[in-house]
Amino acid sequence: MRLSFTIGHGVPKFSLFLRPTLSRHLHRPIYSSSTLPSPTSQNPQTPLFLRPPTHRATFSDLRKWQNWAKTLALSVGSSFVDMDNGPDSTLLCRELKWLIEDVTEDGSISETLHNEEPERTVRLRVGLEELYKLWKQRIEERRPFQYIVGCEHWRDLILCVQEGVLIPRPETEKIVDLVGDLFSDNQGLREGLWADLGTGSGAIAIGIGMILRNSGRVIATDLSLLALEVATFNVQRYGLQVSAGRGKKRAVFLFSDVIQLRQGSWFEPLKDVEGKLAGIVSNPPYIPSDHISGLQAEVGRHEPRLALDGGVIGMNDLLHLCKGAASMLHSGGFFVFETNGEQQCKFLVEYMETEAGDNFYNVNIVPDFAGVPRFVTGFRK
Amino acid sequence: MGMRSHSWRNLLKRFQSVFPTNPNSKSYGNGSSIVFIIVPPPIAASSPSFLRSFSSTELQPQLSANIIRIMEQRLSAIEHRSASLQNLINQPEASPADYARANKELRKLRTSTDLISKLRAKQKEIDGLKLLMSESSEDNDMLSMATEELGQAIEEEKRLQNFLLKSLLPKDAADERDCILEVRAGTGGEEASLFAMDIFKMYEKYSQKKGWKFEVVDLTESDLKGYKEASAAISGADVYGKLKFESGIHRVQRVPVTEKSGRVHTSAVSVAILPQADEVDVQLRNEDLRIDTYRSGGSGGQHANTTNSAVRITHIPSGIAVAIQDERSQHMNKAKALKVLCAKLYEMERFRIQSSRSKLRSEQIGSGDRSERIRTYNFPQGRVTDHRVNITHHAVNDVMEGENLDVFIDALLLQQEMDALTSFSSSQQN
Ligand SMILES: C[S@@+](CC[C@H](N)C(=O)[O-])C[C@H]1O[C@@H](n2cnc3c(N)ncnc32)[C@H](O)[C@@H]1O
Repeated sequence: MRLSFTIGHGVPKFSLFLRPTLSRHLHRPIYSSSTLPSPTSQNPQTPLFLRPPTHRATFSDLRKWQNWAKTLALSVGSSFVDMDNGPDSTLLCRELKWLIEDVTEDGSISETLHNEEPERTVRLRVGLEELYKLWKQRIEERRPFQYIVGCEHWRDLILCVQEGVLIPRPETEKIVDLVGDLFSDNQGLREGLWADLGTGSGAIAIGIGMILRNSGRVIATDLSLLALEVATFNVQRYGLQVSAGRGKKRAVFLFSDVIQLRQGSWFEPLKDVEGKLAGIVSNPPYIPSDHISGLQAEVGRHEPRLALDGGVIGMNDLLHLCKGAASMLHSGGFFVFETNGEQQCKFLVEYMETEAGDNFYNVNIVPDFAGVPRFVTGFRK
Repeated sequence: MGMRSHSWRNLLKRFQSVFPTNPNSKSYGNGSSIVFIIVPPPIAASSPSFLRSFSSTELQPQLSANIIRIMEQRLSAIEHRSASLQNLINQPEASPADYARANKELRKLRTSTDLISKLRAKQKEIDGLKLLMSESSEDNDMLSMATEELGQAIEEEKRLQNFLLKSLLPKDAADERDCILEVRAGTGGEEASLFAMDIFKMYEKYSQKKGWKFEVVDLTESDLKGYKEASAAISGADVYGKLKFESGIHRVQRVPVTEKSGRVHTSAVSVAILPQADEVDVQLRNEDLRIDTYRSGGSGGQHANTTNSAVRITHIPSGIAVAIQDERSQHMNKAKALKVLCAKLYEMERFRIQSSRSKLRSEQIGSGDRSERIRTYNFPQGRVTDHRVNITHHAVNDVMEGENLDVFIDALLLQQEMDALTSFSSSQQN
């Protein structure tokens, strides 16, 4: 039995807006490593680049750390690649540069670090000691770089992420492109109501929300409370939801909100909009259960299983979504689902064209930029 | 001895070859000529303001009778056109479309027509003064006053004529665009990469001084932290118009930091300046593009977590490919690659149009011959020489700091203007 379903049916629908002080918590700076919440805490952590530069170090000490970190990165060689398709030294060195960018007050310093006066001090967003710890975690524990810096650059967005929330993948950027292309010649869909199911950090919902701005609306859902908190942080940072925390349940959008967040399993929190959706987008968990143990360490050891495990053949959630799509979409509505690759895509197209009744047209497989058949798209008749 | 002797003699020589000034010669074409009064500044050859003042006051082209005649023809054509447009607009039965079109054209002519009416007023004043002088040949006071005023009025007329002429000269429509800067290390190994970095930073500092925005697009570092290749997007006022002359081979002579024996090496860096363009400018079609991304073996998607978001875009019809890896998201890498690709396609198209035009135009500087050696930076002698205008500036370190690049750029702009004048007068003759 999968974790997601036991939780999904057991937990009462939770409203995020029970805690009006949430947003204040989100912006509260974290001053030292000792106050860092543990990864299991439900409080979203502030990504490094948003913390105040309250720490100091001399350039010579920072450089010492950099040299140490670089040596560590170089010692990796291609061993991670051989082991599980992990990062090689070149990539780790680039990450090191980005870490310096995020952690120093003046991010561009990473370029000139070796030319600076050794005794001058530089302002940092975490202490040097913490930097040693973080880079050790990166190399020795294979903690994902994005969890180290607390953010992922995705499309033109910088999204806060942390343990317990899936790091958005570059492949998924294309879902927003597909929806954006649709809007350019279908004003009706642009003004409609959209749903991003299993929103995680909020990536797809925010990507679409930025395009919709003042026309349509997006409901973003997830089963994970932590994911919803992180998504709320990101949604608010991009000004797509101004009015958090009014009332216990908000079934209606406030005027200024482009995105509304709801907790629950797949279509369950969307009963009130059945048959009214202009579009459904989702990147549900799709990895077959027995692949999980062999995943790249950054993924298998650190990312939430709830976000990855799609059951025996990885299609539990995809099939559930496909089944529900017909009743949720209005006529002419659009869907796009991300999949594990060619096999899953073909399976879903077959399903949508035959078993899902005569409900869909223009069902297509769209490849990602690496050429892998990745998405299934189509329209409700 | 440095810039003064070199540059003046050289510019003068060049102008004389373009605009022969010997009035007795019967053979120089159809009589078009421009006389330049050149007054070399008294001192300080390396004064940075030297060329600026040079191009404004000391060097005031005196337009030959022939150029003035050609210009007059153009001016009256403009006056005619503007009058008939005005007429059309005043007609009550003009259709809204005609009205709008006429209005738009009139607006475009406005700068010229304003200048023309100023010129006409000045010319009327001159006629009046001349008349006055002929009528008051006995009144000495009056005569001297009128003479003085006439002198001023004629000066003013010349100024207006020069101004008008400039506005009539063909402009490169791309001058106002932003640009893409590409610097590539050439011959000379590691030293060339280090110099490529220096040159890249020189443009960065120059851009800062100009108040332009300088965004690094992509960097490929060499082993010693130089740049094998570097590109940037520069935006601001008239960026392309100012920087376009920087395209070409920049040569460096210095003792490389890697050289133990202290021997001077020569290496080279190539610079390309491309006007920025968008998908519409180059009529880019999605189906002409192939986009490749890094693929970390395996199935990708949720299986993999990589921070490698490199993107390569290939324009299938031309085979041009651009790869960008420095941004932290794939989307941003893609956007940058597309920007550079559009600039390249636009440049190709410009080059195609240009080379199908007259030879004269394609020979002009700034036409983007990347293989031409345009400048030498000699560190032991502390000088920078631009080989096209043959100007030497004796403060190589200032130049590298983005300080005195204008010395060269202004001279090249001036030269461009001269070239335009040549084609203006020759185009009217045949
Ligand atoms: C692969 S992640 C995608 C996250 C995000 N959309 C993205 O693309 O980065 C799948 C998401 O689905 C959520 N999820 C898993 N089971 C769910 C369920 N039964 N109902 C709703 N969401 C679920 C997970 O918490 C996770 O955030």
